Amino acid sequence: MIKLQNINKVYRTKTVETLALNNINLTIPAGEFLSIMGPSGCGKSTLLNIMGLIDEPSEGSIEIAGQTLPDYNAKSIAKFRNEKLGFIFQSFHLINDLSIIDNVELPLLYRRVGSKERKALAEEALIKVGLKNRMQHFPGQLSGGQKQRVAIARAIVGQPDIILADEPTGNLDSSMGNEIMDILLRLNQEQGTTIVMVTHDESMARKTNRLIRLFDGNQVQ
Amino acid sequence: MVKHIFTLIWNKKKSNFLLFLEILLSFLILFAVFALVIDYLRVYQEPLGFNTENLWIAHLDFDDRTDTLVVEETKANLYRELLSNPDIESVSFADRKSLLSGSSSSWGSDENGFFLQTLLYSSDIGFKKTAELNLVAGRWFNESDKTAKYTPIIINRKLAEGAFKGREVIDSIFTIRKEVKIVGIVDHYNAFGEFEDEDSVALFYEPKESISTPSLYIRTKANANASWEEKANQTIAQITKDKGFVINNLDRQRKEDNKAVWIPMIAMLCICTFLVINVALGLFGILWYNINQRKAEIGLRRTLGASRTDISAQFIGEVLMVVGFAIFVGIGFAIQFPLMKIFDFENINYYYAILGAASVILVVVLICAYYPSRQAALIRPALALHED
Ligand SMILES: Nc1ncnc2c1ncn2[C@@H]1O[C@H](COP(=O)(O)OP(=O)(O)OP(=O)(O)O)[C@@H](O)[C@H]1O
Ligand SMILES: [Mg+2]
Repeated sequence: MIKLQNINKVYRTKTVETLALNNINLTIPAGEFLSIMGPSGCGKSTLLNIMGLIDEPSEGSIEIAGQTLPDYNAKSIAKFRNEKLGFIFQSFHLINDLSIIDNVELPLLYRRVGSKERKALAEEALIKVGLKNRMQHFPGQLSGGQKQRVAIARAIVGQPDIILADEPTGNLDSSMGNEIMDILLRLNQEQGTTIVMVTHDESMARKTNRLIRLFDGNQVQ
Repeated sequence: MVKHIFTLIWNKKKSNFLLFLEILLSFLILFAVFALVIDYLRVYQEPLGFNTENLWIAHLDFDDRTDTLVVEETKANLYRELLSNPDIESVSFADRKSLLSGSSSSWGSDENGFFLQTLLYSSDIGFKKTAELNLVAGRWFNESDKTAKYTPIIINRKLAEGAFKGREVIDSIFTIRKEVKIVGIVDHYNAFGEFEDEDSVALFYEPKESISTPSLYIRTKANANASWEEKANQTIAQITKDKGFVINNLDRQRKEDNKAVWIPMIAMLCICTFLVINVALGLFGILWYNINQRKAEIGLRRTLGASRTDISAQFIGEVLMVVGFAIFVGIGFAIQFPLMKIFDFENINYYYAILGAASVILVVVLICAYYPSRQAALIRPALALHED
């Protein structure tokens, strides 16, 4: 479960002050597939980053899996992210100098899993996303859809409770997008993984359990 | 983690190759310079066997005085007159080559039933006191040697423990140019100077009357009045009826000789320092560039659970691994020198040089890698991912 209370986020630069999130209150029960929609710049990514503990709110409190998390620099946050959260990004964020399987192994590397076990688990995750035959390839050799499937494999390899996906289909055409969406839906239904997904695509959003909309940092639905 | 870093730098071997090459070359240059400098310093700290402080030399010329009686008288007068100067401690005649002359004559043969090679010098009785040679066995020359059947000689320990190893030497007769009797051993006698290795030496007794020992050595007292030199000059000119000589200070000469080695050595070390600074700046730049290029990757790694320490360790680890490889390969080359005995250096020099070059490079690398890696660790994941 994720519980956000009175979350505000202000970005201050020398010239402007942007209120990216304004008093967000949101509870996401375990096992829910939630989508977030809203126009560009309304704060969707900011909200996701705050849930993912990679950005701190200016105000408010966050509770994830029964834990309130105050100190953002502590090692325990890194550990927490590593064990409980999986991330998927619009631009994939694969490391181009690592093979597909090495990319997928990354979360396990920071969990100090031994190399044999890492490899076995990464293979398993890649099989789940249908990339069994691409393991030794490099990201540059894959299509966008395939890259995103690698990113999903990387997100699920550590069996997180929660997956945070920021426009996972944003860079893909609709058929590839549907493939990705199917994988996420299966993950949610079969493993009970909580998924929070930012999307611009109404049809994708309709397939999820619940939809919220943001506008200028405010939750409007 | 080590395997992961290895995979990463292996996959980027093209871009890491230049760094590898730079470190390899730097290592080899440092190794060569260190080996050379260490060898010089090793030789430098070996004793000369004589003391140049307050020691003076004047080369006199008796060659045209075929009359030995005149030479004998001249030399006897010089002794008497110079020793009556209260500032002079002792005087002695020896051959021109005997101390720091830069030239030498040597003799080698197996006439004795074993091969023997040695430098040859000659002096009279006063030489031990004047040069402050240190006798470690046997006796020094004395008046009775003048009438000895075999020419008495003193050898240095290098010869005693070299060609004569395992033989009774004191009071034994050998052939060294002629039949000689070894009467004593001095611990060191290195007439070449402080940056040359000591060689085997045989010092022949030549009574002061002999014309083959035309160099006059003078030891002054530690508190000698500066005017002694003026007086000595007059005395010598008067007695020898010759003004074509100069009294030189051997200590000054020794220092001048050493300068000829110190200066290039220091220049070489300066160049090395610049080289190291260059490598350091280059490394710093590479890392800085690398980290800026890889901000998104850093953000990603942090997001996936890497701690700050993990990030620093990643960057330092990558550099250390490339540098480690370079040093490893460098040692592979360097070790050939002692293994194949390419130069006449002692092996230990090479090992110290390897150790020195490797440590200098590692320390520089660690210093240069530390700051950028700390900066990398401070990159905030949300920002880094956002920028891409
Ligand atoms: N690091 C930052 N510094 C300053 N302002 C920022 C920063 N990150 C985001 N913002 C601002 O905060 C607001 C919300 O940004 P955010 O990235 O969350 O929008 P978004 O809803 O994800 O938009 P998009 O759909 O285009 O991805 C925007 O106005 C953006 O300019
Ligand atoms: Mg966004």
